[in-house]
Amino acid sequence: MAEIKLNNLTKRWGDFIGVDDQSLHIKDREFLVLLGPSGCGKTTTMRMIAGLEEPTAGEIWIGDRMVNDDLPKDRDVAMVFQNYGLYPHMTIFDNIAYPLKVRGTDKSEIRPRVEKAAEQVELTEFLHRKPKALSGGQRQRVALARAIVRTPKVFLMDEPLSNLDAKLRVTMRAELKHLSRALQITTVYVTHDQIEAMTLADRVAVMKNGIIQQLGTPDDIYNNPANLFVAGFIGSPAMNLINGSVTDGMFVTTGGTRLVPVKSPDREKAILGVRADDMHVHEAGQGDIDVTIYAFENTGESTLLTVQWGKQRVIARGDRHLRKDQDDVVGISLNQDHLYLFDPETEDRIEM
Amino acid sequence: MRDNTLKYLLVLPAVLVVFVTAIWPLIEAARLSFTVGRLNRPGSLDQYLGWENYLWAFFEEPAFWNSVWVTAIYTLLTVGLTTVFALGLALLLAPGGRLRSSAQALLILPFAMSPALIGVSFRFMFNPEFGLFDAFFGIVFPPLADVSWLADPQLALAVVVMADVWGWIPFLTLVLIGGLASVPRDTVEAAQVDGASGWRVFKDVTLPQLAPVLAVVVILKSIFSLKTFDQVFMLTNGGPGTATQTLSHYIYFNGMKYGQIGYSASVAWLMVIPMIFLTYAYAKFVFRKADQ
Ligand SMILES: Nc1ncnc2c1ncn2[C@@H]1O[C@H](COP(=O)(O)OP(=O)(O)O)[C@@H](O)[C@H]1O
Ligand SMILES: [Mg+2]
Repeated sequence: MAEIKLNNLTKRWGDFIGVDDQSLHIKDREFLVLLGPSGCGKTTTMRMIAGLEEPTAGEIWIGDRMVNDDLPKDRDVAMVFQNYGLYPHMTIFDNIAYPLKVRGTDKSEIRPRVEKAAEQVELTEFLHRKPKALSGGQRQRVALARAIVRTPKVFLMDEPLSNLDAKLRVTMRAELKHLSRALQITTVYVTHDQIEAMTLADRVAVMKNGIIQQLGTPDDIYNNPANLFVAGFIGSPAMNLINGSVTDGMFVTTGGTRLVPVKSPDREKAILGVRADDMHVHEAGQGDIDVTIYAFENTGESTLLTVQWGKQRVIARGDRHLRKDQDDVVGISLNQDHLYLFDPETEDRIEM
Repeated sequence: MRDNTLKYLLVLPAVLVVFVTAIWPLIEAARLSFTVGRLNRPGSLDQYLGWENYLWAFFEEPAFWNSVWVTAIYTLLTVGLTTVFALGLALLLAPGGRLRSSAQALLILPFAMSPALIGVSFRFMFNPEFGLFDAFFGIVFPPLADVSWLADPQLALAVVVMADVWGWIPFLTLVLIGGLASVPRDTVEAAQVDGASGWRVFKDVTLPQLAPVLAVVVILKSIFSLKTFDQVFMLTNGGPGTATQTLSHYIYFNGMKYGQIGYSASVAWLMVIPMIFLTYAYAKFVFRKADQ
């Protein structure tokens, strides 16, 4: 059990910057998710914590020890790799037992511990098999068992669910959450899937181009996005971002529609952010503005209306019983309690 | 035309070529091995002797057993040394290893040299008067400077082994680099994080996954070592005496120099037997790998 501190951590390859001078304090027993699009430096950050990648600059602390010069084997972390990294020539039992064996655990102790770990991830009946004879989900669980067979200071998981099919991913997500609550070990979890991040994390660090954009609880990140990137990345469907200006306390779209009042001084350029759920759908003429439906989608639990709004398209979520068709006209109103305003130049959020 | 028929038609030329250039000579050699088969005695190529040539090799010819012995030692040493050195180099040169590409390019050079050329160049290098090693030891360790390497039976064999190891390391290193590249990096890194030292990662994770490639390397090199001829011919010509006379050299000597084609053919056939085993093992490994 330990906290992790990253101080001004940088990783460069030649001119290319993978991680750019980032500091992050992960609390003891915290489940921290590194979230960001592919290539933003999540894996690199995690590999530096594990000792598989050497930082160009900065410090890594695990507990009260600076581990920059420690080999991976001496850092007392357990890692689940994206492709699991199972040992193909060993049985599942030997795979799970390996961290114990190399650390010189008593022979008599190994078997019960492997069996316990296997039981926790429901693998008991596969212990004598080789990884090749297992399905993707089962292999994923072997990787997990290999991590939890010891009590390391830190768990590191690099997109552990990304190779699973959608249905299995949801099941395994719940299992992971359950397991992490039970184990109470500091965890760094990397993913590009915002749902995984929102559901698993105590706190989320949203990354882009090697820089952490925002660090906060899932609620925080969802309700108070710090900038355009976070606003656009979190939430499904993505937040609608409408170009326009603020004139006389009203947000005016580039097309000239005076849309909603906003508590902001006038500015020539602004972006209004509004989530699909905060765009209410009415019959034509009954909302703030009438729009034409570009596409109508029924997902079962709700309906999604992509509507043409001047030159832009925005998405509104409608009632699950709503039935409309392409080219129909509907009225839209905005929930004025949940609007966001961004500065297009700095991309930062404007408080209002 | 059915696909299958076409398939056979397409490999037919290759099969024919192999038959004419490899199978038929083997059969002809087998026939000759049962004849008197002397080049200087007309008609003796059809004069049948039964198993006489084989019995002669086994019971009357210490030189035959000498060359078997030399070949065995030579094969063991060259296979062992080449594999160990090549593996070490491959570990250094493989992606993620400690050295990289420029060294790689340099290393391939010895493989570009023909074995005969290697033989000649090593003969010069070990010349006791103006050789490279003479000069080298003259500076580093003078007592060794004037040793006549190629005149001493043991040393001569050592030199032949060295020349061969030197010539073969590059190719086998490349093969092993390829093998190492196919060992998933994830598994190596997983072992590092799991707490394994560098040596244990190698022993527990890298080596077992490299085993099929390593087996191919050992078998392939054994085949080449067993039939070594040109290097020995150029470097020592089997000498001093018969100290470095490998089986191939012995066969050549008896056949071409003394004209005992029948007897040579019988020894050649004795050599074919271990070759068939090795080739079979090689094919098995290569195709088993391809199956996976
Ligand atoms: N060994 C390397 N050499 C050069 N560039 C690398 C190396 N490893 C990763 N990168 C680059 O660094 C960036 C961040 O990579 P990574 O941390 O793997 O991203 P992700 O957030 O998808 O996990 C990517 O653009 C990647 O191409
Ligand atoms: Mg990644």
